[in-house]
Formats: sequence, structure tokens, C-alpha cells
Amino acid sequence: MKILLIEDDDQTASYVGAALRKDGHWVERASGGAQGLSFAGSGVHDLLIVDRMLPELDGLQVVKELRARGSKLPILFLTTMSGIHDRVNGLEGGADDYLTKPFALAELLARVNALGRRLERSGAEVQTVLRAGPLEVDLLTQTVRRQGQPIDLQPQEFRLLEYLMRHAGQVVTRAMLLENIWQLHFDPGTNIVESHMSRLRAKLNRGFETPLIQTVRGAGYVLRLD
Amino acid sequence: MSFAWTRLVGSESFRLTAIFTAAICVAMLVLMALVYAITHEALQNELFSAIDRDIAAIKSGYRSQGISEAREVVNQHLYHGASSDFLLLETSWGKKLAGNLPPMTPRLGKVFMELPPQASAGSHQSRHILGEGLMLAPGLYLFDGRDLDLVHDAEEDELAAFLWVLLVSLGLATAGGLVLSHLFLARMDDITETCRAIMEGRYADRVPERGAGDELGRLVGTINAMLDRISGLMENVEQISSDIAHDMRAPLTHLQHHLENALSEARNEEAYRGAIEQALGETERLLAIFHALLKIGQLEEAIDVRTLPRLNLSHLLEEMADIYRPVTEDSGHILAVRVTPELWVHGDRTLLAQLIANLIENARAHTPSGTHITLHAEAASSEVVMMVCDDGPGIPQAERERVFRRFYRLERSRTTPGTGLGLPLVAAIVRYHGGSIELDDQAPGLMVRVRLARA
Ligand SMILES: Nc1ncnc2c1ncn2[C@@H]1O[C@H](COP(=O)(O)OP(=O)(O)OP(=O)(O)O)[C@@H](O)[C@H]1O
Ligand SMILES: [Mg+2]
Repeated sequence: MKILLIEDDDQTASYVGAALRKDGHWVERASGGAQGLSFAGSGVHDLLIVDRMLPELDGLQVVKELRARGSKLPILFLTTMSGIHDRVNGLEGGADDYLTKPFALAELLARVNALGRRLERSGAEVQTVLRAGPLEVDLLTQTVRRQGQPIDLQPQEFRLLEYLMRHAGQVVTRAMLLENIWQLHFDPGTNIVESHMSRLRAKLNRGFETPLIQTVRGAGYVLRLD
Repeated sequence: MSFAWTRLVGSESFRLTAIFTAAICVAMLVLMALVYAITHEALQNELFSAIDRDIAAIKSGYRSQGISEAREVVNQHLYHGASSDFLLLETSWGKKLAGNLPPMTPRLGKVFMELPPQASAGSHQSRHILGEGLMLAPGLYLFDGRDLDLVHDAEEDELAAFLWVLLVSLGLATAGGLVLSHLFLARMDDITETCRAIMEGRYADRVPERGAGDELGRLVGTINAMLDRISGLMENVEQISSDIAHDMRAPLTHLQHHLENALSEARNEEAYRGAIEQALGETERLLAIFHALLKIGQLEEAIDVRTLPRLNLSHLLEEMADIYRPVTEDSGHILAVRVTPELWVHGDRTLLAQLIANLIENARAHTPSGTHITLHAEAASSEVVMMVCDDGPGIPQAERERVFRRFYRLERSRTTPGTGLGLPLVAAIVRYHGGSIELDDQAPGLMVRVRLARA
């Protein structure tokens, strides 16, 4: 993907830029809000990463301005821990996702890929049946089948699987699951995700050899497509 | 001294004193003018009534025995009377019959005249005479007058007395005003002095309290109370920051030791990788601590809770129970929900979710497996009362206040993972929402009761 990174801090910019390039993306960097806006005007980018704190024009204004100009680019908003309202402001301003600094690189990459995928999918008609590998999830009847065999899931397990299906083949992090499935925008002390995940896995794997959900160390989970 | 003087003159109290003194002087001048006019009038009246008595006597003498008797009465009067009396009896063609004044052209009614010095014996000054002239009979003129200088002297004495009174009261008012200003300024100086001392870092200094009853005394009292509050807060902040420094040192030291160990012990890539992963885990924990501290700090100030969106608390509690059920089951706890439906509050969903999460988390982490955890919520008049209860070991009465302090953990929890920031964050969230929180004995176990305003 072609990514525009609007970040004034050189250290963060080079750290983030290197990680994105290593992951196969093309990265252009703007060091201020005004420059970022003019770069974004070229229309070559697939995704924007905007820091909240920028000199002159701050990140929130950049996002609002882009949306006002009718841009539909996916935007990932970077906030600091000390702004409890930054998340809400950023999303209301038009950002698609947010990440609180400091963040792990694995978290950033997972979010960037998820946003990129959303871009590919947009335009496709609303799906009522999701398919990934041997799995089939019917959103209307709330039924799950693996190779045609029905699997009985609890509501929370179903929501978890639905999210994994929508991001099949992609790494999803714990924080992404907490935020998007349960709207928990904080890090709970215990690993509640793990408990749900192990129940889901057990039910999906009953009577089958190959596990479908893999744990990616230090990053999260991935639902395998093969 | 000159500095003190210019300051005194420049001060507000001095200006007030000056205005006050001027007002007193004007009032006194008006009063004195009035008194002067009244006494002047009275003296003249006195003068004329004496003249009228004389004239009446001369008249009656003339009526009974004619001109000779009138001359006799005049002479008798001049002989016995005061030297300030002036009489003249003459014919209308200017022939003096009796009296101590030279003959003159008859003038009738109230007459004022100035007598040259040589005209009256024994006097080297001209005299001012006020009197009355009348025709005693056709062709017979009588003038009866008094020396006005006597009246003038009395009036002058009066004016002199007035002047003295004025001067003395002016002096007293000014001196009194200056003394009062000075006392006032001294007390203002106390305040300035103390403020300066505090700015220089002597935080224990207080304004000396004298004359506690008056406005200034009250001001001083308030300033001192404010300073006490500020220094209390500062001690609190110092306490918190030293607590933080203390509590951050342990994990940082761990991190350092692990890295040092890895550097000297690790032989292969796998060992290095393991050490780095461990170090990353520790930095993550440190960041989590900072995050929690920052959050607590940001929630310190209360807001108007009605500006927050309406939120179905019953719903949120049910959701949180669903989210936490698997993890509580895994640790052998039994989670139950007893919530009245449709309880609405004003609140931030993320923060209230965190509050509930922390309480469930505590009931799970600090109790043995098999413990029952119950989420309750019900309406109570204008409030919603939410309770998270367990039948575990509870928290002893003496510790119930302390567990709200940052980093405070019970002795028995030393080995359970955690940082001691869970309850302080819960308390900060409750405060942010304008609610209240209390810990109670569930006998056995702990009951955490949170009250929020109903929306
Ligand atoms: N339900 C409970 N039963 C018994 N003790 C409790 C309970 N809840 C809290 N405590 C005690 O109060 C202490 C403070 O709790 P707090 O939530 O502030 O910190 P923590 O749980 O130890 O750590 P953290 O929440 O930051 O992970 C705990 O260490 C524990 O000793
Ligand atoms: Mg806790």
C-alpha cells in the first residue's frame, strides 16, 4: 500500500516508516499538518497515518479538512495517553481507527492491514454469509458450519468468529478484538480475550485435525484461510 | 523614613483620611457660620433693647416735667452709665442740650456713625456707634447709641475660639487618620511579607493574626486557611510523587537486572530473544502503570455529569458480565447478575466499563476459587446504586480507606499480580461522574457500593 505518514517527531517517523516498509508498504512522510494536507492532495495514497500533535495545523484539523474535501482515504489517528477525549474526537472528526502512543509495532501493522483490507472490500454489496476456508457463517440465521457440519456457538463466541472471518488471513490484535467486538477501549488486567478464544477454538476444532485459529506470538491471532 | 512617608501619602487609607478630614472641616465651618450669625443677631437685639429702655426713661421724664427733666435723665444716665453709652439731646436747629456727643444733624431710625478720635475724650481711636435717633417732641431730637467696638470685640473673641477649635480638630483628625493608616498599612505589610516569603519557598510562613474580629482579620484568617490547604495539597502531591518514584523503581530495577543477565549469560540467539521478550513484557507493564496514573490524574477534576451522554447502566452491567463470564469460570469463580432493567445514568461508557471491569477483576484476583461474585444494581430515589459483591476474604475495616491510595495493596496480596492502581482509578472515575463509593463488609467478603445520579 502507499501510505502517507504525517508525523512531526523524527524518531517516531523513522521507526514507524521502517516497520511499514519492511512489511511491504511504500511510505511517504510529511512533518507538519500543512505539508501533510498538500501531499494528500496528490491522490496517490491508499492510507493515511496522522499524529494528533502536530505543529501549526494539528492532526485533528488535518483529518477534518480532508473529510471536508470529500476524501474517503482510510485514516489511522495516533493519540497520546494523556488525552482521554482524543479517541472520541478523532473518530468523530472522521478518522477510521486510532492508536494510542506508545504502541507496539505489531499493533500498528495489524491496524494498517485491517484498514487497507476495508478499502478493498468497500463497494462490495453487504454480505449475509461469510466464507473462509472450511468455515461458513450465516449472519442472518446466526449459524456456523465447518465443512458442512453445524457448530453451536454462544453469542460472544459468534461475535468473535464473525470478526475473525471478516479479517480472515490477517493478524488481529487483542486490542482490536476488545475494541471492535466489545467496545472496551482499555487494557483489562486479565486476558479475557484468551478465555473467549479458547472456547471458540475448542468448539471449532471438535472432531477436526487442523486448528483454524493460530496465535501469533507478540501480536495476536489469525484465522487461516487454507 | 521619607520612603515610608511617600508610601503613606500614596496609600488609599491616607486619601480616605484626607477626604474625611476635609468633610469634617466643611461641616464645622458651616456650623460656625451659623452660630456666628445667630450670636451677631442676638448681640444687636440686646443692644437695641437696652437703647429702647433708655429712650423710654427719657421720654417719660420729658412727658412729666419737660425738657429740663429730660436733660436731667440724660445727664444722670451718662453719670452712672457705662462709658460705652453715647447720648445726645439737641434742638432740631443744632443746639446741644445734653449728652456726650457733639451736635449733629438729626437722623432718624437706626443710625450708624463713626466718631473721629478727638471727638470723644480719652480715646485715640475712632469709635463705631450704632444707635437710634428720634424726635422726642417737635424740635427736640434725641440720639441714644452704644459703642459697637464692644460687640465687635466679642465677635472677634468668638471667631478666635472657632479658629482654635478648627485647628485642633483638624490636627486630631489628621493625626488619628495617619495613625490608623499606619496600623492598617502595617497589617497589609504582614500579608505582603508572607506572600513574598511563600514565593521564596518558605511554605510554612503564615500571616500574623492580630485583631481577629474585623474585616482585615477575617481576610488574614482566610489567607492562612488557604495557605494551609495549599500546603496540604502540596504534601499530598509530594507524597504521591515519591510513592510513584518508589513504586516505579522496583520494576525498572527488575528490567535492568534481566537485561544485564542476558548480556552476560545468554549464549545463543534463542536466549537473547527470550530475554528481549521478557524485557518487552516488563516495559509494557511499566507503560501500563504510567497509563493508569495519567488517567487517574486526568480524572481528578470533576465535570458537570449532565454533559455526558445518557447510558443504560443495566445493559452495560449485563454486557460486562457476558464479557467476564469465561475468564471468571476459568478461575473457578461463580459470576451472577441481579440488575433491575433500564437503569439510566449520565456517563462515559469507556470509563464506566473500566470501573466495572476493575471491580470484577478484584473480586476475581483477590479471592480463592469457588467464590461467588455478584453484580447488583437498583434504583434508590434519585440515584442508581451499583454493587459488586463477593464472599471472599474481604478487606479489614482499618484498610478500607487505604486501598484507595495509589499503589496500596494488602499484605496478603503481595504475591498476586497487580499494581495497586485499580481502586484509585475506580474512585477517580466515580468522582469524575459526581458519584460516591464505599466499601462494606459482606460478612464474609467485600461489597463495593457505587452511587451515581439517575438520568
Ligand atoms: N474484592 C476484594 N477482596 C479482597 N481484597 C481486595 C478486593 N479488592 C481489592 N482488594 C485489596 O485491595 C488492594 C488494592 O486493590 P487495587 O484494585 O487498587 O489494586 P490491585 O488489584 O492489587 O492491582 P491492580 O488493580 O492495579 O491490578 C488489593 O491489592 C487487595 O489487597
Ligand atoms: Mg485491582
